[in-house]
Amino acid sequence: MFLPNNYEFACPVKTNSGNRALEHLPVELDALNARKPLVITGKDAAGKGLVDVLIDAFRDSGITIGVFDGVPTSPDLILIRELFRIYRDGGYDAIIAVGGGSATDTAKTLNIAVSGEPEDLETCAGENLIKKPLKPLVYVPTLSGTGYETSRYAFFGNKVYTSHFLIPDLVVIDPRMTVPEDAKTTASTALVALTQAAELYVSPGKNPLTDSYAYTAISFIMENLVNVIKNPQESIGRLSLANAHCMAGCAFSNAAAGMAHTLGKAAGDACGASHGLCMGILLPYVLERYLSLSGYHIADLLLPLAGFDVYAGTAEEKKAQKAIDTIYGLQKDLFKISGGAIPRTLKDANVSKDILKNTAAKAAGGASSGLDSDGCLAVLEQAWEGR
Amino acid sequence: MDLPGYYEFCCRVKIIAGHDALERIPGALADMNARKPMIVTDKGVSGAGLIDIVTDALKGGIVIGAIADDVPPDSDLRVVNRLANAYREQGCDSLIAVGGGSVMDTAKGVNIVVSEKADDLMKFSGANALKKALKPLIAIPTTAGTGSEVTQVAVIKDHEKHMKMAFVSYFLLPDVSIIDPRMTLTLPSAITAATGMDALSHAVEAYTGLAKNPLSDAHALAAIDLIRSNLVNVTKNPGDRNGRLAMASAATLAGMAFSNSMVGMVHTIGHSVGSVCGVPHGACMAIVLPYGLEYNKHKNGHLSAELLLPLAGSRVYTETPKPERAEKVIALIRQMNQDLHDATGGRHARFFKEVTDREGKPMVPKEKLPDIARTALSDGSIFYNPEELDYDDLLMVLEAAWEGKPLD
Repeated sequence: MFLPNNYEFACPVKTNSGNRALEHLPVELDALNARKPLVITGKDAAGKGLVDVLIDAFRDSGITIGVFDGVPTSPDLILIRELFRIYRDGGYDAIIAVGGGSATDTAKTLNIAVSGEPEDLETCAGENLIKKPLKPLVYVPTLSGTGYETSRYAFFGNKVYTSHFLIPDLVVIDPRMTVPEDAKTTASTALVALTQAAELYVSPGKNPLTDSYAYTAISFIMENLVNVIKNPQESIGRLSLANAHCMAGCAFSNAAAGMAHTLGKAAGDACGASHGLCMGILLPYVLERYLSLSGYHIADLLLPLAGFDVYAGTAEEKKAQKAIDTIYGLQKDLFKISGGAIPRTLKDANVSKDILKNTAAKAAGGASSGLDSDGCLAVLEQAWEGR
Repeated sequence: MDLPGYYEFCCRVKIIAGHDALERIPGALADMNARKPMIVTDKGVSGAGLIDIVTDALKGGIVIGAIADDVPPDSDLRVVNRLANAYREQGCDSLIAVGGGSVMDTAKGVNIVVSEKADDLMKFSGANALKKALKPLIAIPTTAGTGSEVTQVAVIKDHEKHMKMAFVSYFLLPDVSIIDPRMTLTLPSAITAATGMDALSHAVEAYTGLAKNPLSDAHALAAIDLIRSNLVNVTKNPGDRNGRLAMASAATLAGMAFSNSMVGMVHTIGHSVGSVCGVPHGACMAIVLPYGLEYNKHKNGHLSAELLLPLAGSRVYTETPKPERAEKVIALIRQMNQDLHDATGGRHARFFKEVTDREGKPMVPKEKLPDIARTALSDGSIFYNPEELDYDDLLMVLEAAWEGKPLD
């Protein structure tokens, strides 16, 4: 096992996962000294009846909860002002975000405002500018997310907030909330998590604690993603994927983004394509590139990707390539079972070839990985065209 | 990877590990807006020169408000109150606990008193009586074994009332744990061996126990892997700094694993031998571990079989047929005890009859075994053992572990 000379790790998240997990919320909130939570979610979750399940969990608890279920895909500051007023006037003391993406980003952003002053939204944008703990934040995942929910990041408009204090205090993973999503959404959410976890698991910046979270996330995804897309009624499989998504985010807070993550996000942004699908496409190409660099631990990745028996049964010198091939294999399976809806190339993911050069140059400029602009471009071109 | 019907996992402690970890304490304190820590430790730790290493590392960065280096091995309420007074008199704003279980518990107790301005610590005993964050607490473990730097429990005695109070709260988790190999570099080889086996028993019982979960599993596997590659080496070569860091990391990982799952009969019996005969905890764990796996094999053999990969590596795992893996794991752990026995010139005991005190007197007389078995029946961990245990079962295991004979 790789052990660096110095390392740091923190995961302030408490995870509660499983049957009737939501019913533990009143006790958990009490332990966080909170009595009146405001639930924040999008219309999507409300439409699926998820909010009703949550409200039910508070029945008989004596706790009054507020619900705001109108977060749009691209929320703006007018919404935050409105929520700030609701939170303050309603005497709320904690926030529960239901569902990933904009609901969680809105909840985190609101938390910055209500824990201090609304002006903090201006002064705290950036890296580590939040100076003290925020109000208690709970995240209740569905099967749809961006991968940042349990991380230290919040994205709002054109601002990015990065702080340890933005990480949720509690994650409640309940099978009644992880209801089936369409194949693309399920895959996209899982592939962000796989990319976050796998890139960290092979990176020179890893340590035994990031390994533990990444290992668990990767194992869950490899054992369940294809099954769940084939059979969306697979409740335990869906719950496992939600676990993976939360754990990958926890690990991600402890490291710099990897190259597949950075390139996938940039390519997705440039063309309005799904970040997760782009990352999933890029992942094996980036890993292949890393094979020639020192300090990366590609062979180790075979263990969570393929399990004990395959890992142990594969000769040492073949483990790295086998790991990469396993991910190509996953891409192939996803393409097949989704009837082509989950693409295997950036071209099929609607990424325009024209943006590759610019994307590569930008990614290499801000990158923490060993790839230069030419290396990034080569990866993008390969992933665009496919094998 | 199995997903249980329900589980919880939480370890909010920030881990700062490495060869320069101590030097990062001033930054960690500044992050928590603390400027004047009180150092809590015991005579053994300060006598070994470890506090000098810590204060050297803090030099220039911060002012140390007070150093209390006289926490006794069986600390109690009076010590907690005395230290809390010193904390207030010196105007401290945070705590650094350097040492083992008693020091950690005492520092946690002091933290409750000074943070809650409590006259009566008792008000905060039990589960979840604390409702808000306490003063910043940094834990620096000085053995690689107990994992107490990542647990949310404190046990504080009241010698006047003959009571033991348990405090359980996530707010009792240290904010930061510092894992620095300089803190374990001078541990004698027999203690290195015993504490390392203590960590192994945490990891193994977490992985094979009833309350396992995906995250406790992952932490346990990592701990076992590090222990396998380092424990015997470090016992032979105490000055191996990388090995020391690996063992300290493994102990923390194992602590995170077991404090988020449960331990079983290895701890049931270990606690009881400790309380009846005064044998150090780690020494008991080392002896009982293979017996626990043996006794539970028909219930959890499929889980102990998996441990062959982190315990022996790819080749042995593949070459051992699946039905034989659990046995092989048990054999390897026995071999580890043997190797540690050899590496310590016989001071690492393999069986209870080999455990001796400083004068070389046996600590576990055979006639005490029934006493130990009776004590074990009332240890809480017995309920979490995969297979049931009654008095006769316990006595049978104890007799075998005393003599050094495998179970049938």
